[in-house]
Amino acid sequence: MRAFSRWARLSFRLQRWEVLASIAGVALHAGLALWFAWQLRGIAAGEPACPDPNAYVPGCEALSQRFRGLADWATGLLYLSWGAPFAMGLLLGVPIVSREIESGTAATAWTLSRSRIRWLLGRVAFAAAVLVMLLAVVTVVSGVLAVAIMPNLHLERDFTWIGRRDWLIVGRGLAALGLGVLIGAALGRLLPGLLAAAFASVVVFAGLSLAMDRWNETLTVVVDPSGLPDAAPESSGALHVGQRIELPSGELVSWSDTALVGDVQVIDERGRLYTAFDDETGMPDPTTFVGWDRALVVPGDRYPQVVARDCAVTIGVGLLALGGGMAVIRRRRPA
Amino acid sequence: MSDVVLEASGLAKRYGRRTWALEGIDLAIERGGITALVGPNAAGKSTLIKTWIGFERPTRGAVRVAGIDPWRKRSEALEHVGYVPQSPSLYDALTVDDHLELALMLRPTFDRAYARQRLDQLGIPIDQRARSLSGGQQAQVALALALGTRAEILLLDEPLASLDPLARREFLHVLTDAVRADNATALLSSHIVTDVEQACDRLMVLGVGRLLLHESVADALAGHAIGTDGVAPPGAVATFAGPAGERLTLVRRAGSAGGDGLRPATLEEVVLGYLSSGRSTAAVGERAA
Repeated sequence: MRAFSRWARLSFRLQRWEVLASIAGVALHAGLALWFAWQLRGIAAGEPACPDPNAYVPGCEALSQRFRGLADWATGLLYLSWGAPFAMGLLLGVPIVSREIESGTAATAWTLSRSRIRWLLGRVAFAAAVLVMLLAVVTVVSGVLAVAIMPNLHLERDFTWIGRRDWLIVGRGLAALGLGVLIGAALGRLLPGLLAAAFASVVVFAGLSLAMDRWNETLTVVVDPSGLPDAAPESSGALHVGQRIELPSGELVSWSDTALVGDVQVIDERGRLYTAFDDETGMPDPTTFVGWDRALVVPGDRYPQVVARDCAVTIGVGLLALGGGMAVIRRRRPA
Repeated sequence: MSDVVLEASGLAKRYGRRTWALEGIDLAIERGGITALVGPNAAGKSTLIKTWIGFERPTRGAVRVAGIDPWRKRSEALEHVGYVPQSPSLYDALTVDDHLELALMLRPTFDRAYARQRLDQLGIPIDQRARSLSGGQQAQVALALALGTRAEILLLDEPLASLDPLARREFLHVLTDAVRADNATALLSSHIVTDVEQACDRLMVLGVGRLLLHESVADALAGHAIGTDGVAPPGAVATFAGPAGERLTLVRRAGSAGGDGLRPATLEEVVLGYLSSGRSTAAVGERAA
């Protein structure tokens, strides 16, 4: 217990600015999120005749307008929830090695400690623990806020705001931490390390996002969007992956394939696609039936599965980066 | 069983493609006492020390610490070594006491009480943050961290460079006291010869990456003399300029100096002579061997 408290106290003192900045940021975010949630719930509960402030109900326009005005601001906080793990992960990860090298303390630490890897793991463990605790707060309050903005939202069965109110926030934070450690160790300088790590994060997470989109396609089902509210697949809580045309033969083709059939495509209100040719008036003239408009979606009940595997892959990338950081410091000069 | 604790054989270290920091270093330092590693800036002193703590990988040759290759088995080698870096590498945000706790956390065998006792004797405020300490106090904290490891080998990389004369003297006093009390072996690199003269038992002179001299301080003083008439007598090592611009010749000779226009050499003159001879390393290399 004494060893644990010594480790926690000294680790905190070595990274206190980053930790305090992260705590302050999360406290501000959580405070605002809870305030918005409270306000939105107050508006929504204020008029029993208007049960869904997001829906158009005659007589509820004023309440709905007030609710949406506030909800727009609150939605902005969910964007912060998306960005928080990257910012905090890099802020806590990059200095772990780079500051030690920059200030020359690595020479002391790496000779006092018999193992550089053990030293690094001790430092990373503290940063990871802080990060997980703070991002867990972000995740929970973002969930509360999301439900306040969208009262009908089912947090476990709806892809709306995926990555902004779920455990992907924590997973991404840990991945950013690993990436920060690697780049900080490789460059050995704090500010250039932060800039390079930010750039690397954009590249790595964009690539990861594309890869996960492709993987999510394996979970898709075909739905008829015309049967959904506003013809929007997302309205059912599903994750919209793509749009296809179902030919009378049952074959699914992409929209670019249908361009081979005619210049203009027209979909009627029942989701039927026609090729069309301009007449003299310039108006489309439906002539040939091609097929039905279809959406590829991952159903909402697959949400926990998608988040879990996205988390696993993201944390895996972070662990790989941390492994890279270990390899770097094993051979690195301390100054 | 060999009593050699620090070894280098055929050691060469190159930075980049062309810059050789060390070339063909062969030496062995036996257990006990303090060895001064003296040389000008860029002589390779830090590089040599860093190969012994596994911070640098030899380009050629091998080094051993207590018989262990520090690059291949760094963890094992570091168990035998306490290190004081060139500039006191302390954490600004931590107090002196925090540093001792950190050392204990990083190395469970760290003797906190021993290090604390050393610092208390010097009156260093234990609750003060490192950044508010003087340069001399910071150096003492760095030394206490190295001594607290109770390592049998202490490697000190120019810890005196930024200290005032009083702080240097105090540092050396603590070092010699600790080395004698623990029967440890210390290698102290410096380019301030007068300071190490009192504290060190052996002398190594390193010039442009080559070992020019390696023997006991007593032998170095007894075995060299200075000729002041500008004529190079037999056994002349090198001629160099004295403090007033006069031509001095360092002579290697058996027996005591005197009678033949020679006077006893000071340690500084021995070092200056060998550094001046640095280019004719082949002949000196034989002597070092």
